[in-house]
Amino acid sequence: MSALAFVVNGGRVELEVAPGARLVDVLRGPLGLVGTKEACGNGECGACTVLLDGKPVNSCLVLALDVEGREVTTIEGLGGGEGRLSAVQEAFVERGGVQCGFCSPGMIMSATALLRERPAPTDEEIEAALVGNLCRCTGYKQIVESVKVAGAKLRAAKEARHG
Amino acid sequence: MVTMSEPLLGPGRGRCADPGRGESGGRARAFAYHRPATLAEAFERFAAQPGSQFLAGGTDLLVRLRDGRLRPEALVSLSRVKELTAVEVGPQIRIGAMARFGELLGHRALCEALPALAEAMRTLGSTQIRNLATLGGNLCNASPCADSAPPLLVHEARVRILSAHGARELPLEDFFVAPGQTRLAPGELLAELVVDRPSPATRSGFAKKGRVRMDIAIASIAVSLELDGARCKKARVAAGSLGPRPMRLKGAEAALEGRLIDAEALKDARAAAEKDVAPITDVRSTEAYRRHMAGALLARTVTRLLEGRSR
Repeated sequence: MSALAFVVNGGRVELEVAPGARLVDVLRGPLGLVGTKEACGNGECGACTVLLDGKPVNSCLVLALDVEGREVTTIEGLGGGEGRLSAVQEAFVERGGVQCGFCSPGMIMSATALLRERPAPTDEEIEAALVGNLCRCTGYKQIVESVKVAGAKLRAAKEARHG
Repeated sequence: MVTMSEPLLGPGRGRCADPGRGESGGRARAFAYHRPATLAEAFERFAAQPGSQFLAGGTDLLVRLRDGRLRPEALVSLSRVKELTAVEVGPQIRIGAMARFGELLGHRALCEALPALAEAMRTLGSTQIRNLATLGGNLCNASPCADSAPPLLVHEARVRILSAHGARELPLEDFFVAPGQTRLAPGELLAELVVDRPSPATRSGFAKKGRVRMDIAIASIAVSLELDGARCKKARVAAGSLGPRPMRLKGAEAALEGRLIDAEALKDARAAAEKDVAPITDVRSTEAYRRHMAGALLARTVTRLLEGRSR
């Protein structure tokens, strides 16, 4: 077992991990952050997507010890605390972007990262950005719609602050 | 034991992560882990334990580790070795092996200098994979389907290989031996890709065919043409997923070089490409379809380059 210290959702954690532990194991195991899901375990489905130093990655493909000193954001870290949802989370709820919900945390993490980089993406850009997040339920239409609505909400909020 | 400076947002403690006996059912067994800060330290760590393995982005390696196909005595992670991430774009282009595809895609000068590589990176894996996977790892994994290989072959890249004892360079074309096998000797690592900047008259592109948008290529083609109007002065063509290694298609190159590229030339180039490749039938596609796609992707890409279109 080796020592590991990193920041998750703005808080620093220190723990002991086995060398073969992946980031998804540490998040779901000792840290109890079970919002991040594991489905395929080999980087194809995106259910395990988290942000590592702000960039979306498959946490099933990251060795936990490799995140020493780095920042991880999970689905639990998006909202404002006390049950408040982020604009992206709200949009997914409003627009039917969530059915069974299993792909949703990963999908929302990817969408959040996309909108930070590209505040007004086209449908094509959304589809390309989310190509690594599979959904079995929605057929993706409501997901693309949710991302566009989220983008509009975020842009409006930004205008309101700077306007 | 877990200590936290602030309460986490989450339902509470879970089981201790031990992937050897965890719910994932993985058969990974314990190994030593090192995360050196310099190349010198990396070589030391590697040499200190027989059965060591270098770890780059982890997108191929972690899958093999988890299902027991890879059982290293030690993993030497290169994620902290800054010397391996440098990118230089000048008359010579140098790309560090640990550069992540996501970062390289954001490097405008690099993408403008090497369009075929930029196009390949754009469709490699997914956003998440590109934020982890490295150029060096993609090449050293030596899949015949490696998307970064055909573009680097048409850009005539050389690989710079380092070990504790020194350095050597060889053409990328000579680097791949067989599926999963490169010319790296134990203790060597791929440090850098070196490309001479293409001339201003050169256009290059990449095309890939998969079953769905995020997929390992069924067939991929990269083309680089040095043009004088519609006359091709120099042609380079390379293929992925169409043989045991990423490979140059020299018959197709000969069919294009020194020629005005008209319908006749395209027809000849297509036929040559179909002869050059050595595809197989596997879970993803058939030999016949792949052979056909070699010609189709070549014709499509050459036409697009002549017309100056980006897609």
